[in-house]
Amino acid sequence: MILKIKIPETVREQINEADDDRIYYALPVDINRESMYAENSYLIVTTKRILLFEEGKLVKALPISECGNAKATARVGQGMLTIEQNGTLTLLCRFSHGLIAKYAYIARGINILASGRFEEVESNEYEPSCPICGRAIPGTSKCPHCSGEGGIVKTVRRLARPYHRSLFGIAILMILASVTTLLNPEIQKHLVDKVLLEESPSKSAAFLCLAGMFALSLGIVFVNVAKSFYSTKLGARMSHDLRGELFDKLQATPLSYINDRRPGELLNRVVSDTRVIREFMETVFCNLFTVAFIFVCDIVFMVILNPGLALLTLVPAPFAVAILLAFRKSINRRFHLQWVKNDDQSSNLQDVLSGMRVVKSYGNEKSESEKFLRLSNEYARVQMNNESFWAVFNPIIGTVLGLGLLIVVFFGGKQVLEGEMTAGELLQFMTYTTLLYQYINWMANFPRALMRLKSSVERISDVLSYNVAKKGPGEAIDINGEVVFDHTTFGYKSYKPVLEGIELSVRKGEKIGIVGPSGAGKSTLINLLMGLYEADDGVLLVDGKDIRTLDRKSFHSQLGVVLQETFLFSGTILDNIRFARPEASMTEIIAAAKIANAHDFICKTPGGYDTYVGEKGYSLSGGERQRIAIARAVLADPKLLILDEATASLDTESEYLVQTALSALTKNKTTFAIAHRLSTLKDCDRLIVIDGHRVAECGSHDELIAAKGLYYELLTAQLQMQKA
Amino acid sequence: MEDRDKTLTFFESEGGFLGVKLGDNTYDRVRAVRLFPFTDPAKYISIRVGNDMGEELSVIEDLAALSPEQRELVERDLDLNYFLPQIKEIISIKDEYGYAYFHVVTDKGPVRFAINMGGTNVTKLSETRLLITDINENRFEVRDVTKLTKKEQRKLDLFL
Ligand SMILES: Nc1ncnc2c1ncn2[C@@H]1O[C@H](COP(=O)(O)OP(=O)(O)OP(=O)(O)O)[C@@H](O)[C@H]1O
Ligand SMILES: [Mg+2]
Repeated sequence: MILKIKIPETVREQINEADDDRIYYALPVDINRESMYAENSYLIVTTKRILLFEEGKLVKALPISECGNAKATARVGQGMLTIEQNGTLTLLCRFSHGLIAKYAYIARGINILASGRFEEVESNEYEPSCPICGRAIPGTSKCPHCSGEGGIVKTVRRLARPYHRSLFGIAILMILASVTTLLNPEIQKHLVDKVLLEESPSKSAAFLCLAGMFALSLGIVFVNVAKSFYSTKLGARMSHDLRGELFDKLQATPLSYINDRRPGELLNRVVSDTRVIREFMETVFCNLFTVAFIFVCDIVFMVILNPGLALLTLVPAPFAVAILLAFRKSINRRFHLQWVKNDDQSSNLQDVLSGMRVVKSYGNEKSESEKFLRLSNEYARVQMNNESFWAVFNPIIGTVLGLGLLIVVFFGGKQVLEGEMTAGELLQFMTYTTLLYQYINWMANFPRALMRLKSSVERISDVLSYNVAKKGPGEAIDINGEVVFDHTTFGYKSYKPVLEGIELSVRKGEKIGIVGPSGAGKSTLINLLMGLYEADDGVLLVDGKDIRTLDRKSFHSQLGVVLQETFLFSGTILDNIRFARPEASMTEIIAAAKIANAHDFICKTPGGYDTYVGEKGYSLSGGERQRIAIARAVLADPKLLILDEATASLDTESEYLVQTALSALTKNKTTFAIAHRLSTLKDCDRLIVIDGHRVAECGSHDELIAAKGLYYELLTAQLQMQKA
Repeated sequence: MEDRDKTLTFFESEGGFLGVKLGDNTYDRVRAVRLFPFTDPAKYISIRVGNDMGEELSVIEDLAALSPEQRELVERDLDLNYFLPQIKEIISIKDEYGYAYFHVVTDKGPVRFAINMGGTNVTKLSETRLLITDINENRFEVRDVTKLTKKEQRKLDLFL
């Protein structure tokens, strides 16, 4: 994202830049003090000052040395930048929601400058709309409109390279198709002028012409079928290859990349964007050369044949295009509306059906059915409107497209009668006109199809060009178990830190219990430890090595993880346990299941270890799923064990059994365990309390009780609850 | 808890934020939070400690019950927390390749924004009330669709 926008000269003049006081950041301020949209207002940060401009005038200048703790906070529909000036919290400026992320970077930048360092903060998040043309950018780094034709042509060329042989073949077929199509009227003319209108028409010559026409028609059909077949095949292959490439790439990208994108967007790239490419190959590309070739030849032939008439025929063409475009727009609007209404109706139906128990138990059937009737009525009304629109306008469009032909028949007919043109030529001319208008429709649609392709190609190449392996292959590691968080800071959104400046040093073999209120960031802490996200600031060291430099595969194979949301793949219990180590033997799997206290319940299912767990494991209870996940972690024989509420869904007895089994297993292995039930953590060497984005307390059970802090409060609250 | 003095006395803090006195305690920074920002923006205001929505001190049931000066202080803080422009006039809506570009006049002044046509970015709060979310997650409200002209309504039709 751009953190230094272009500012008008009049504002710039008031800044008084100096060699040691240059502009670092400049952003617009779009909400003023009166809560109205502001114009020509800016927040500018220089090396030494923070300057606020309102309506082009400098209204505030603060020396950075007096400032600290700058913060951009999100509010409903807006955000604000606050700062502590000589210890007093002050409001600097307000801005609309879209600027919050940028201001968060600026806040970080101000804090860095305030601390006496001079590095400039950069953001690699994407701009939501194009700074040049103002259009929304569909989730890519560059605007597909402004990226320049060169860019897209290059990407298409790159994407098409492996297929150039098929492409060449299809191009030949396309030209063949146009040649055969264009030959037909020529023979027709010959048939009429040279055979039928002769004094004594020769039967054999007529048959010869007919045979030629028949052969050509057959040829057209054959070429077209071949062309469609190969284009479809090529489209399917291209989109298949792309899907594979995208999938591999997505698996290799860090989670934060996926997290930065809107949900469903990446799914779209894999599924719909590749489909767009396939459809383009099938419906547009396969006709591209044919249409262009025919179109050009058509016009050339017409002009050679009869320049005057050709000109007359072409007159209605622009009108036809305009009417077609307007018509298509209106149709799109109408059918979109119909689709929305249909959606309303079905989502209401879905709502009521799935909530039938609630509806019935409150006796609301009548009002619900009235609501549904109303929606259904709306839908019916829109549908009827659309159908009548279609019924009226479709023939009108047909007439408009037939207009050219009408002109040809009228003026051409006159010329034939006057002897300036032969009947065969008129026939030929009419066929050309029909062809021309047939393809006008296609041509009018072409820019739209091209833009759709462009957006999709842009989005796909955006993922493919994302540089994953910028750090080269990581360093293989044999984990010893020493973990250090050094000033680690992280937030899922740049403007909302979840963890700030975490300091924690864990020795090999230590068992760490993590507690804290819900949403404090416990799971986030271990997400960092698992290397799923990268810290925004500070480092995370494993055995003294920065986690970012480690080889992911070697690192992950030594982690044992039981996550809060137990995730099982659809497959059998065996598949799910074995996921951790595909080469494990059956004996090892059974041993792992026994440790997880899962063996007994697995035996009771009719399918044993081959029981199918259903989509995401929904056919199992929460506790059963959790035990399978534990077995999976145990089987991995990890050097570093991470348990996020691993036993939360178990009854007290199984929890006890699993705990004892696990503690035998985790002896001498570094373990991080998160739990809300504090009794679960009594074996831990050290407990840390996460609260307010930080490590609020850290120490052994006894130390924390003696400190009478947060942990003590949590513990007494839980004990009281048990007594009650 | 004993019977505490529950009256809140608001004041403007040094940094220009909302502060409050409650009994013997003084809080330099509190925030006013609407409990029903759409259905009843002037009623049920929760007063919370700190900049980060800490403990709740009290809920003001109706702003109208406060004295005008006190009320203004609370409203000023509400303004800092909520920015929900109401669309009064639609100048144009242009749709292009999956996005719709709006040019409108709101009670906060004229503005242009873009929404993604694919999702549920226009939600109906009621039969006549709309909430529009743009690509930057800014939100705009149409209080009463029927108050717009027929022509404006037709432009919006695509999203209803
Ligand atoms: N993928 C995500 N994207 C955006 N925000 C997230 C994401 N995951 C978590 N958060 C937010 O980060 C904060 C910390 O979440 P986290 O899961 O670490 O909490 P936790 O301490 O594990 O809570 P719990 O005890 O309920 O499991 C929460 O406010 C949560 O809403
Ligand atoms: Mg959690």
